[in-house]
Amino acid sequence: MIFFFVLLISMFLALIGQTFIGPLPMIGARVLLMPIIMFYGSLALPTPGMLALCFCGGLMWDALHTQIVDGNVEIAMGWSIMLYAVLGTLMSGFRPLFQRGRWEIHCLLSGVCTSVIVLVEYLMITFRREPVVFIFNKEIWWRIGGAGLIAMLLSPLFFFALNYLAFIVGYDPQPDRRHKRSR
Amino acid sequence: MTRRIVIPSVVAFLALVTLIFLLSPHNIRRVQAGFLETISPFLKGGSTVEKKYRGFKEGLKSIEQLEDENKRLLIANKEMSATNQTLRGLEAENNRLRKMLDYKERTEFKLLPARVISRDSSTWYTQITIDRGERDGITDDMPVLNEEGLVGKTTVVAPHSSIVVLIADETCGVAAHAEGSREQGIVRGERSHNGGAGVPTIGFNFLSKQANLKPGQNVFTSGTGGVFPPGILVGQIKDFKVGALDSYATIVPAVDLTTLEDVFVVVGHSK
Repeated sequence: MIFFFVLLISMFLALIGQTFIGPLPMIGARVLLMPIIMFYGSLALPTPGMLALCFCGGLMWDALHTQIVDGNVEIAMGWSIMLYAVLGTLMSGFRPLFQRGRWEIHCLLSGVCTSVIVLVEYLMITFRREPVVFIFNKEIWWRIGGAGLIAMLLSPLFFFALNYLAFIVGYDPQPDRRHKRSR
Repeated sequence: MTRRIVIPSVVAFLALVTLIFLLSPHNIRRVQAGFLETISPFLKGGSTVEKKYRGFKEGLKSIEQLEDENKRLLIANKEMSATNQTLRGLEAENNRLRKMLDYKERTEFKLLPARVISRDSSTWYTQITIDRGERDGITDDMPVLNEEGLVGKTTVVAPHSSIVVLIADETCGVAAHAEGSREQGIVRGERSHNGGAGVPTIGFNFLSKQANLKPGQNVFTSGTGGVFPPGILVGQIKDFKVGALDSYATIVPAVDLTTLEDVFVVVGHSK
């Protein structure tokens, strides 16, 4: 429970922190820190904790970014929560491997999932705005792929730091690794 | 994990999400304003640290440099005050003459200075957060500008901070006209340029086929949309293309939207 709140506070701070990081020069991709922590939470927490984290993450994201244009909500509040829950569930499927002390696939997957978030946002905006025109030029692809690539590179650092935080608060996100060691 | 815990948690999750989906635009605004109010102290603190860091990076100025700068700013301030007084006189005279001619009186505006405390971190939206809100008299859809030209309009307003959607965003449409012609159209951001690296360009749509605009021509707000007052510089024409039914121009915004630090909110009429 304590670790859940540690992750929640970390997500909140990451959301604020990422507003001070501008788009990367040349590629224009954003550095998205909050999803990395959320994906870590999906691996470290059991299903109810994962769902609660996805709910809070999606709600915070939507509270900051939902657009109301001429009195109409552009993309309904709650879509990010659903998207995060779907991706969190996907990550959760790799939890047994994470519990055994492996992170490699999870770091790669958190990058891919971050790109999926940006791609789905783009598709939702495209479907909602008139006229429905899919622009998939190099710039758009770089923004989608670049965000994932950055998340992929940063996630080992975050996973390590969050594992350390878990250790401090007395939570063991990888119990099978310890058993293996003790054997 | 037993089904006894997982199934109720999934049901509770879906029930909460359904509740969120059912929120009306008014309630969404309230949720957004509440969250913005919660994070604004952190954003203000972060912005102060960022400014200090930037100042530190740029290096400390010597006393001589500061004295020179101070002298220059004092002179510039006096010049601007004098110009402002003259313009106010001219505005009053203009209004009086317009009244005599039975024209609608042009409005005068109050400008509320505000500091940019954060830039949007999302990929597809172009927004900033400012340190002024409802308590300062700000409401939704108020124009925001700086000394160079139009910046955008307010959207979510919390008691002590507000979100401003920039003119480079696709959702911010501005009725505008080109200088030296009768051409009117809608200025709107382009998705592939929003929030990306470099100088964003914005589109000037719904122009007539005979528009024949030239690169470098200024574009000003026309005031017909009701949100933006007329005569504010939006940007300069970069290129112009004639389509099958209408024509289209690309504009480089007058304001550098990537490095905004201080802006003014047009809070209403001074009369």
